[in-house]
Amino acid sequence: MQRFQLGRELVLAILLIVVLVVFSLLSASFLSVENFFNVGRLSVETGLIALGMTGVILTGGIDLSVGSLLSLVAVVVGFSYQDGLALGLAILLGLAVGLAGGLFNALFVTRLGLHPLVVTLGTLSLYSGIALVLSGGSGVSSFPHWFVYLGQWYLGPVPAQLIFFAVIAALAWIVLARTPFGRYLYAIGDNVEAARFSGVPVRRVLIALYTAVGLLVAIAAIIYTSRVSSARADAGFGLELDVIAAVVLGGASIYGGVGSIPGTLLGVFFIAFVGNGLLLAGVESTWRQFVIGLILIVAVFVNEFFRAGASPTAATSG
Amino acid sequence: LVFLSLTASGFLTAANVGSILTSIAVLGIVALGVNMVVLTGEIDISVGSALGLCAVASGTAAKSGGLAFALVAGIGVGVLVGSVNGFLVTFGRVPSIIVTLGMLYALQGLILIVTGGNTITGLPQGARTFALSDVVSINVSIFVLAGAFVVVALLARSTTWGRDVYAVGGNRRAAVYAGVPSRRTRWLAFVLTGALVGLASVVFFDRVGVVPTNAGQGLELQVIAAVVIGGTSIAGGRGSPLAAVIGAVLIGVFLNGLVLLNVPGVWQNVVVGGLILLAIATDALRRQLVAEGT
Repeated sequence: MQRFQLGRELVLAILLIVVLVVFSLLSASFLSVENFFNVGRLSVETGLIALGMTGVILTGGIDLSVGSLLSLVAVVVGFSYQDGLALGLAILLGLAVGLAGGLFNALFVTRLGLHPLVVTLGTLSLYSGIALVLSGGSGVSSFPHWFVYLGQWYLGPVPAQLIFFAVIAALAWIVLARTPFGRYLYAIGDNVEAARFSGVPVRRVLIALYTAVGLLVAIAAIIYTSRVSSARADAGFGLELDVIAAVVLGGASIYGGVGSIPGTLLGVFFIAFVGNGLLLAGVESTWRQFVIGLILIVAVFVNEFFRAGASPTAATSG
Repeated sequence: LVFLSLTASGFLTAANVGSILTSIAVLGIVALGVNMVVLTGEIDISVGSALGLCAVASGTAAKSGGLAFALVAGIGVGVLVGSVNGFLVTFGRVPSIIVTLGMLYALQGLILIVTGGNTITGLPQGARTFALSDVVSINVSIFVLAGAFVVVALLARSTTWGRDVYAVGGNRRAAVYAGVPSRRTRWLAFVLTGALVGLASVVFFDRVGVVPTNAGQGLELQVIAAVVIGGTSIAGGRGSPLAAVIGAVLIGVFLNGLVLLNVPGVWQNVVVGGLILLAIATDALRRQLVAEGT
């Protein structure tokens, strides 16, 4: 199983390299350190949330509310600052809202035993609704200099948030691959009943997981707000799709139990580079969504087709 | 419902009931299809983009060939999309949430490519009979919704396929062992949804009068909300076509009630979200109580 995993990540890594080579040939400005760092900088928010989403999808769940929650945190930070709260406190408030949003999802999923798909569909609507009500449809874009600096700050040629992202990604990797918590996630996704009977504290693990996703979303929201120096209720519109696409492209099975942080990182950068490459190669931006949708379907088709072919339960699942 | 009729005068009048039903016709028609997909244990979140693409097709067709041609084009494109979805899910073995998520993206892109980002305008009045004309003072789009409901309800109740849907959604493995054609059953549910989306696309541009490139965006959420609020289990196997209509009507009633109570439109999402959570939470609590009682 472990070798099979590595094999799929290897395939994706090779695909990513092929894409990089093709776009380098198509566009002169693609293959440059600045462009690579820029693509990396722009994918930090998606990437941060994708780390949490990997955990959620590993347990066989899904979180559709992340885009809305990002909007909500951005609006809370922006408007509480505009209404006179010190920005430092506004950021803390934003983080608290993120945690609360994640916890709310978690309680619905664990206490009521509801499918995360329906719960987070509900909160997707709810969170974006609250964001819209709080902002009244307007935005905040006057932030102090130091805050804007945060999301546009470079250490030499490297964007600061990329370094931050690398640290968080490494932590997430260690947690998933080397800690009991990580093993619990795989166990729950593999067979939740079996996990429960073997003493995995399923409920506590899930509560911690969804709450952690909320926190990651809040951090992403603050980085995003700082980067574009604007807080609006539509900040995270549709973001959940980008995140899920990246995680699934990275080899995670939507049925749970299979997936990894390196795979997810490859998925995030694959989507980011395809979008950027198409843009630089002069393809109209309207094609981006079309291409990403196709890539997602084809990638999962190839994944699931071979996995189903190799497993004895294929006959009944088809 | 009672609360709304007491607090908002003008809520329970024939004209208002008519306007609620008219406003949810598109939602209800699409929900009827997605409801069947959910009953088989699958899901379809591509219907928003699919509606947009169908509306582009049917709207363009209406300009040259009138209503009949628009219906053929809209339903044709819808069936095509549904077939591809169903094929990938059943024979491609890709989970339906991924297939339709990919489709949601791909079709949205396709709309922009096909239209070049331009809104389709200048639709002939003759092709807009569904929304613009009344029969016995009831808007025609209500008849379209009612007709779609009757057809889907008959299919679900009185055909082999209808029974197979429940069997496959209830316990797929058992259904397969019992000889139920699981793949064909699920495929047909996707195709039916496509056809209904095509039909709804005609009602949509009839009402709106133009086809903007963001047509249908976000519809998938309201549709799934309607299905779940109506009481169909997201796990499949339990529910009925009536659930889709009831769910759609409930959403329509609440949104309409908000307007009559002078609540600002920005509250709409809060209400829809709250309704979904309330509906699933009561359902879960009820099941827990039943489980404890036995």
